[in-house]
Amino acid sequence: MRPAAEHDVPVLYMQRTRDYYQALGFGAYRWAHYADTPFTPLAKPLAQSRLALITTAAPYQPDKGDQGPGAKYNAAAKFYKTFSESSETIPDLRISHVGYDRKHTHAEDPNTWLPLKQLQLAVKAGRIGALTPRFHGAPTNRSQRVTLETDAPEILARCREDGADVALLVPT
Amino acid sequence: MCHQTVSLIARHLEANGIPTVVMGCARDIVEHAGVPRFLWSDFPLGNSAGKPFDVESQAATLELALRVLETAPAARTTVQSPQRWNDDAQWKLDYNNLEKMTPADLEERKKEFESVKATIKDMPGRTGA
Repeated sequence: MRPAAEHDVPVLYMQRTRDYYQALGFGAYRWAHYADTPFTPLAKPLAQSRLALITTAAPYQPDKGDQGPGAKYNAAAKFYKTFSESSETIPDLRISHVGYDRKHTHAEDPNTWLPLKQLQLAVKAGRIGALTPRFHGAPTNRSQRVTLETDAPEILARCREDGADVALLVPT
Repeated sequence: MCHQTVSLIARHLEANGIPTVVMGCARDIVEHAGVPRFLWSDFPLGNSAGKPFDVESQAATLELALRVLETAPAARTTVQSPQRWNDDAQWKLDYNNLEKMTPADLEERKKEFESVKATIKDMPGRTGA
């Protein structure tokens, strides 16, 4: 049993972000915070369930500048409406439009932010009953109201359309 | 924002009858919002689904997320993945850490942020980052 270093604790992203933007001269952001949390038990075993994948990665847009490994934050590559694509293939999704750790994450392997290949293998192995025919891309928005009133209901509607029993959500 | 966005969506799906699990790296943001089930990988942002070019890590991360989905006894269940990014964990000291930035770094970042804001302003009707 080795002791851990003093700094080896969960990174306080909210505090870091608050301090950082204050130093840049911008006001504090109020992060989403709820007292209660909904909970729905699984209705059937996972091996008989249909799973929907939800990602915050963005479709590659060749006309929107550098979106490859090591690209700087690229606001032009952001998207503002929910998108859906087939879960049977592996799409070209990138993460240059969000604030990931650009020093320690090189963004060379899409499997670190999109577990679609692993999900397809899990279906093949019988671990999951099936994937919904589409996975969904969620726009990342500073406005919680837009997420709550527009994007979340849209994704729920699409999950229902596809007969999703459960959902896996993967932020970048 | 990614972690907050998916947390809000997970809450909405769950409230409407679809059980969810979030797999992510920013523990404080997800737990501050409050989600039903969360598999936390203590990795730099961008690696929610496992380590790069490490199929074993990616498979184990998904499997653990599925286990959390199946077995969480109540809302706000967080399970920490046993995987470690590296031994010294020095990466944790870097992300947006003012203590590691010079005034010149800050000035450059301010300019970059202003240009990002201008780009977003030109987008159809939304703000985001």
